[in-house]
Amino acid sequence: MGKLRNLIMLITLALIILLIFLSVYGAFLGPVRAKEMFNSMPASIYWLVLTLVLIAGLTVFRRLIRVPALLLIHLGCVLVILGSMLGSVAGHKMTNQLFGTEKIPAGKMIIYEGQTENHIFTEPEEQLKKLPFSIKLNDFRMEYYHGGFLQIQSRDGRRWNLPAEIGSGFFLAEDLGSVRIIKAFENFRINISDSEKTAVDDPGPGSNPALEVQFTDPNGAEAIRYVFERFPNHTHTQDKFLLSYRRVVSDYISELEVVDNNQVITAKSIEVNRPLHFGGYHFYQHSYDEQAGRYTVLSVTSDSGLYIVYAGYVFLCVGIFWQCWITQISAKLKLRANRYGN
Amino acid sequence: MEIKYTIQGLLIYATMAAYLAAFLLILLRHRKAGNALYLFGFIIAVVSFAYRWYHVGHVPFQNLFEVFLSMWMIYPVSIFSRRILRGGCEWPDMLLGVIVLFPAGFVFNAQPQQLPPALQSWLFAPHVAVYMLSYIFMAKAGVQAIFQLAGKEHSQDGQILCAEDATYRMVCVGFPLLTLGLILGSYWGKLAWGDYWGWDPKELWSLASWLVYVGYFHFRFMFGKKHPRINSLWAITGITVILITLLWVNLSKIFPGLHSYAT
Repeated sequence: MGKLRNLIMLITLALIILLIFLSVYGAFLGPVRAKEMFNSMPASIYWLVLTLVLIAGLTVFRRLIRVPALLLIHLGCVLVILGSMLGSVAGHKMTNQLFGTEKIPAGKMIIYEGQTENHIFTEPEEQLKKLPFSIKLNDFRMEYYHGGFLQIQSRDGRRWNLPAEIGSGFFLAEDLGSVRIIKAFENFRINISDSEKTAVDDPGPGSNPALEVQFTDPNGAEAIRYVFERFPNHTHTQDKFLLSYRRVVSDYISELEVVDNNQVITAKSIEVNRPLHFGGYHFYQHSYDEQAGRYTVLSVTSDSGLYIVYAGYVFLCVGIFWQCWITQISAKLKLRANRYGN
Repeated sequence: MEIKYTIQGLLIYATMAAYLAAFLLILLRHRKAGNALYLFGFIIAVVSFAYRWYHVGHVPFQNLFEVFLSMWMIYPVSIFSRRILRGGCEWPDMLLGVIVLFPAGFVFNAQPQQLPPALQSWLFAPHVAVYMLSYIFMAKAGVQAIFQLAGKEHSQDGQILCAEDATYRMVCVGFPLLTLGLILGSYWGKLAWGDYWGWDPKELWSLASWLVYVGYFHFRFMFGKKHPRINSLWAITGITVILITLLWVNLSKIFPGLHSYAT
């Protein structure tokens, strides 16, 4: 029995060391190729062997069953591996075949404002598939932190990153003068009437954020310039500067409704960190129409195996805290009690 | 490298000076004065952290500058290790504090940044804080492991553990925190990015660091009594992988991924 235990422990250590090296190698490959590697056939065999060795360890090392903390830790690992396998592309194929379902592992949805959509562009198969229900996008909007930044670069490479506070002025250099931020626009447009051009903030659809800035050179001459968020490093040939305007996004919000048989089942505003969960899928704010903000791109993932993984996490965490902290503290308290008792 | 002529910079330099002076006093066997200066340095470090928090308007864990600033946690860890775990001593921690604060004081960009949407989560603070705390314990364990390999034991009085036992106890305290950090990160990844495991370089290096300590426990359980020096090698490998996870992954262009906002 001692030899068997030694063998299982040596195999365990070898598997741990192998996974360390594979993790490091995967880090150099990058996320996409690492995912392919860890979901490949040889990796699947590794996961299977690891699971079997974990189960074998539970039978050979009786302590792993007698000590609840150790049992939780090792069962937790088994659950995490099993849950991940169920949630993988291969796992979905297997469960779809076994149970006759058509669950989609993952994909993307593009939905225009006011439109309803039930098609998903799947990954990694790159196919178009349908959900059993639809998602309607009522509104997509982005929220920004107040202000933003005006980035100035002189022709000789000097740079300034200035907070875009309306009315504020900044001294740049003795040879360059100063700059003042006059106005901010959400949707910059030029109105031409009677040969006169005026810059206005267009309340209509569209998004063209801009700043109106005034440069004053060392001789006192003033010049107005417009800086556009969508056109960084914009400049006139006679200007001394390259100008950029950058706003910092504070949130992306998609107001969604789940529609089934022409009835609205549920509605939710989703943001990063606040996905929609419905029908066995999670819907995440992934991307958006950068030009005009008229559509949203949702990332869709199946929840197959997820709660098994979460259960595994809970077991693992509770078991490790129990074994490393609580057991040690109890042993110490017992020792102290014995010492004072004697 | 640049000197930060700001209030934040001055607070960092004051902390470094206090820790360095404390270290030198301990070396010169002025223990009481050294410990008092260590405590003083800790108070300045807490003020520095609080000042940054007030200045940026959110928990200062967003980038490497802020993360390294949070190493003020080293003082309570130091005291806890000495008095409760009965292992280690303060002077390596004082030196560690100086070393860790050096890049915050002279290298990393301290420009305040607004939180991007992905970081606006209740999980942000616990995930990073728990990781930082575990890293400090693992760093202390690594120091004890080096002492063990160098043949230096700290059993001048009968109540302080030998270096190998001290390593084990510190890993026992740090490993659950490392696990919690990994799991919180995974759960947060599911909420923010749609997947609890994205095979991101940061995630893979974090997994590697976690696995090294898993290997440490397994090896120590089965073969540790016969090969105590190999136990220490495991612990040193662990802190090495942690340093790579914390620094190289964030700073190097060869590891692009979703965690790159931390640079």
